[in-house]
Amino acid sequence: MNWQAIVLTLELAGLTALILLAVGIPIAYWLTNSRWRWKFLVESVVALPLVLPPTVLGFYVLVAMSPTSILGRWYQAMVGHPLAFTFEGLVVASVLYSLPFAVQPFTSAFGAVDRRLVEASWTLGVAPIATFFRITLPLSVAGVVTGVVLSFAHTLGEFGVVLMIGGNIPGVTRTVSIDIYDEVQAMNYDGAGQTALVLLAFSFFVLSVVYAVNRNVWAAWPMK
Amino acid sequence: MADEITADFEKAYPAGPTIHGVLRVPLGRPHVTVLFGPSGSGKTTVLRCLAGLERPTRGRIMFGTETWFDANTGKTASPQSRSIGYLFQDYALFPHLTVADNIAYALKGMSHAERVAQMHLLIRLLQLEGLEARRPGQLSGGQQQRVALARVLARRPRLLLLDEPLSALDAPTREQVRGELRGLLRNQGAPAICVTHDWVEALTLADEVAVIAVGRVLQVGSPDEVFSRPANAEVAAIVGVETVVTGHIAQRTQGLAALDVGSARLWAIEETGRGEEFYLCIRAEDVTIEMGAPPSSSARNHLPGSVLDVRSAGPVSRVTINCGFPLTASITRQAAQDLGLKPGIPVTATVKASAIHLIPR
Repeated sequence: MNWQAIVLTLELAGLTALILLAVGIPIAYWLTNSRWRWKFLVESVVALPLVLPPTVLGFYVLVAMSPTSILGRWYQAMVGHPLAFTFEGLVVASVLYSLPFAVQPFTSAFGAVDRRLVEASWTLGVAPIATFFRITLPLSVAGVVTGVVLSFAHTLGEFGVVLMIGGNIPGVTRTVSIDIYDEVQAMNYDGAGQTALVLLAFSFFVLSVVYAVNRNVWAAWPMK
Repeated sequence: MADEITADFEKAYPAGPTIHGVLRVPLGRPHVTVLFGPSGSGKTTVLRCLAGLERPTRGRIMFGTETWFDANTGKTASPQSRSIGYLFQDYALFPHLTVADNIAYALKGMSHAERVAQMHLLIRLLQLEGLEARRPGQLSGGQQQRVALARVLARRPRLLLLDEPLSALDAPTREQVRGELRGLLRNQGAPAICVTHDWVEALTLADEVAVIAVGRVLQVGSPDEVFSRPANAEVAAIVGVETVVTGHIAQRTQGLAALDVGSARLWAIEETGRGEEFYLCIRAEDVTIEMGAPPSSSARNHLPGSVLDVRSAGPVSRVTINCGFPLTASITRQAAQDLGLKPGIPVTATVKASAIHLIPR
């Protein structure tokens, strides 16, 4: 069993889930409250990773990260090395890839909070942002936990995006799923089996927790 | 006029009616205005526009000299800045907070000591002692209503807006809470605007009634004025009670009370034993008309008088009788013809004591 790959994968998934918590909540808040007529376009973009082949997503992210692109040049000028084939690059790609797994449960949860509770808070003199933190967020804990855990679990198992962005550098970008693939290619079925079993057990545990907390995990966008 | 709310606005819905709200409410003293009308008449929309939760399409809302909404300048004051209290129909208590935290929710800006003092005051006022640590889900309907009121009053609002405050309660609780609510609204300093479709509630709470239907204010006036002298047939149909007069208790015996109304005396059922001044509400279909001397019957009230007016609509005639006060009876047109009813002829109106609904003033 390749502990280095397992630790690296957990780090990647944990960091991705944390970033998605911070990034996903404002996006979900906006999606819940906005009445902008083109809002569905943003919803589509957020949901895109659900249907897009990981290689396609990975390809575009790779192109965006390349030193010849504006983004890649800017990053290289700031940090000193290119973003592709680094752990940071993997984190960026994972955040994009798991975005819908965080934002959709967040949005469902925020949208399910009774509108009148929010209005009651407003008429009691509490500003919209404070109302969000005192009413909407506490009443959405189950949905927020679900989103974080799902994006964590989803990042654990990603393969195509990692291969495109990270390559296969031990200790830097070789995650569990890549490691298993390598082991199988090398005819080392025992090693692959052990690592696969760890991933399977872990994923099952995580999903059990999510379903125990919230029975409505795969809910679509809230009806408006 | 600096010391009143003047509202004149329209709220148009893309696929629905246009709600036209016209109101004047005096400020700075307890005064309860009841918006009375059937469901779907736009009462709640008017209330939500006043609270700033809905944006009118046209018009203006002034609170004294403050502009809350002006369609011409596009100015809208946020709900937060209006310093109002809004009581939601099903109370909208925060389910994740305790009773105490619900009440203290709006008191964040206050010092700790001030907050605690205000909390104790409200908990005593609304009889919530011992419930402080409970959550809304563990309260009865009546208790939830009191918590919601405490939460609304905590911030000392300049104006109270109540949306069907009693409709979420079961009938016996409603009876009891109605009286309490009236006392509370009279005793706290701010004026209140209350929405209801229940005429008993309207009469209990109102200093002034505005009748609303299909998005328009049809009549504004004191409760007995609106109920006894509806401006037109539409208002009459909405209020549903043809005779509302004020009476003074003359004597009480065994659950019955004799009330002096004008020059007449009526018996009605009154079991609480409290109160001196009442509204007497009598539906026209509960009044029968007899010619000549009153026969002996089970009915308690035989009121000699004379016919003031007879109006027929379809098979029904509405007869107004002067028997010390104007009383409206609803009888068939055939009966009116057989009795030869016309203005001036003497009749006796009969009403059962149990058909007189008393509402304390």
